[in-house]
Amino acid sequence: MRQFGKIFKFEFKYYLKNKVFISVTIFLVLLIAGVMFFPRVMNVVKSDENGDNEPKKKSVMLVKAEQSEQSDMVLEAFVNSFADYDVQLTEEETDAVKDKIISGEAECAFVVTGATSYTYYVDNLSIYDSKTEVADEALKSVYQMNAIVESGITMEGAQEIMGVQIEGTTEKLGVDQMQNYWYTYIMIFALYMVILLYGQMVATNVASEKSSRAMELLITSAKPVSMMFGKVIASCLAGLIQLVAVFGSAFLFFNVNKSYWADNMIVGSIFDMPPSLLGFMLIFFVLGFFIYAFLYGAIGSTVSKLEDINTSVMPITMLFIIAFMVVMFSFASGTVDTVLMKVCSFIPFTSSMAMFTRIAMSTVPWYEIVASIVILIGSVVGVGVVSAKIYRVGVLLYGTTPKIGSVIKAVRKG
Amino acid sequence: MVLELRNIEKSFGEKRVLTGVSFKAESGKAFGLLGRNGAGKTTSIRILMNVFPADCGEVLVDGKNVDYDKLRIGYLPEERGLYPKKIIVDQLTYFAELKGMSHREAVKSVDYWLGRLGMSEYRNKRLDTLSKGNQQKIQLITALAHNPDIVILDEPFSGLDPVNAMLLKDVVKEQISKNKVVLFSSHQMNYIEEFCDSIAILNSGCVALQGELHDIKRNYVRDRLVVRTEYPEQIRKDFSGSCTDMEDGGLIIQLKSLDDKKAVMKKLVDDYDIDEVKVFEPSLNDIFVEYAGGLAKEDAK
Repeated sequence: MRQFGKIFKFEFKYYLKNKVFISVTIFLVLLIAGVMFFPRVMNVVKSDENGDNEPKKKSVMLVKAEQSEQSDMVLEAFVNSFADYDVQLTEEETDAVKDKIISGEAECAFVVTGATSYTYYVDNLSIYDSKTEVADEALKSVYQMNAIVESGITMEGAQEIMGVQIEGTTEKLGVDQMQNYWYTYIMIFALYMVILLYGQMVATNVASEKSSRAMELLITSAKPVSMMFGKVIASCLAGLIQLVAVFGSAFLFFNVNKSYWADNMIVGSIFDMPPSLLGFMLIFFVLGFFIYAFLYGAIGSTVSKLEDINTSVMPITMLFIIAFMVVMFSFASGTVDTVLMKVCSFIPFTSSMAMFTRIAMSTVPWYEIVASIVILIGSVVGVGVVSAKIYRVGVLLYGTTPKIGSVIKAVRKG
Repeated sequence: MVLELRNIEKSFGEKRVLTGVSFKAESGKAFGLLGRNGAGKTTSIRILMNVFPADCGEVLVDGKNVDYDKLRIGYLPEERGLYPKKIIVDQLTYFAELKGMSHREAVKSVDYWLGRLGMSEYRNKRLDTLSKGNQQKIQLITALAHNPDIVILDEPFSGLDPVNAMLLKDVVKEQISKNKVVLFSSHQMNYIEEFCDSIAILNSGCVALQGELHDIKRNYVRDRLVVRTEYPEQIRKDFSGSCTDMEDGGLIIQLKSLDDKKAVMKKLVDDYDIDEVKVFEPSLNDIFVEYAGGLAKEDAK
């Protein structure tokens, strides 16, 4: 235990003194700060520009109705539907209208050719352009209004019919997937990134000790189990610190700028995460991290040269990526309670992500959660001990990377 | 303190590495563990240090099984290497702490040793900024800083210049005088001969020869004489058939029987102009080649 403490301290200090670790953390915090302060900065810039409180000049949208009796109703409908535009009625020829668009005088134009048809003129058609859909709706309501009025109902009556409001309320009994979607997404992704990154770091750390031959001394100074747990727990803590720094600063900066984010539902929902979910995130992060970091450490110990690391850790990385894919696909489809996901949420290598996703996006019975966590904890201990054994055998094997079979044999004997 | 390996056997897979290895090293004396490459020295040392267990056999200290939590062992591995990118004092204290020292003790001891080996100026430098010889000295500190009861030095002199080798010799002598068990493993026989009172020669995982170096030498049949002279021609002529040349210019005369020794010596002194005559004692090098070279001879066959 004493040795474990020393190793943990030494390894942890390595992260804290590591320039890459520090600079990446600072960079991420600054990036988050940049994003979080963006609306505030934009607001300041905007209010500077509009110092004389003149409203911003809107882009011009030209509307032309070929049947002049339609003009007033069409114009009114377009003005109501396109509040962001300076909608102007025009009676010019279509060619002149086109010229205006090309010259940039107007952004776009609608030439209404009949009661139910129009042509939309625009310079560059953006992939996000949804103006025709809005125009469809506007013209449809004009047409419907006219039809109703023609059938003998007064204008007021027609407007009442057209403008009827439906009141509906939703009462959710489980979780709100829409609300949980974004932070679950971010958490799974963070889990994925951190495990992959730090797992590789553990493997590299072990392999470099071996290739620099510091291992010759280490293995005679400390027990492999202490070495393995010391390293993995130190890197886990470093990973956690990085996560806390990034998410903590995001939370802090969000709260500083809360009012500027008020109309952004996604960002708002991310920071409105229930604390229980944060707790689950922490549990599954730590356990999922351990299980993979142990494997990475064990693999790192079988490698003699640093160059061989990437090939050797490939199976673990693939396993992890497949787990991530399965979870991500189920997550994106919104059906997280499939048989596959249920199975995955009990397999230790996938359960950290799968069970967490299910908890966040669905209602999981408590006993399933407990079972998943218990299996995961048991597996972490098991994998940890086996990894330490592989480590003890692996670190003394030099030359070509040994085959899995020979390592297993040596571990059994050892 | 007596450190003893008794009947150690070890196989890796199909390969048998050690077969009934036994030897004894006493405190206050240096013990030389010799053998060719692959003879099983490092495996013996690793078993002794509990890196992996022996298939059978015992490691004993004063006749009792070793308690590795209490026994402090210092080890200078043949494959040198520490953390190249880390500050020297940090890694030295780390290793001393791993071996059971408190942080304060470790820093104090590391500073003492840095001073003792003339390395204090590099205390806060990264290891990879040092020359190879200096890195070697830093590595030596990892073997000594925690004040071990048993010091195991594997090829301690390789890569050291004569001045540093002298410094290391002093350190080793000091360790011996502090009544520690000092275990040497080296191919440089002159150093072994200089330090070690007793040796064990391993050959293909077996102890081929062991005992007090002095006794081993005395046990050789003393039926050869070494003669040094400025005028060897006449001796060669008179003793033709029993006289051979040594590499260093001396002559070796093979006696027909041990009883002739006195007469031949007298004849040499009386009849020739000689500088020296003595009974031939093999050097450790000769002994090593004879006992450890068995495999080479078999290979040659």
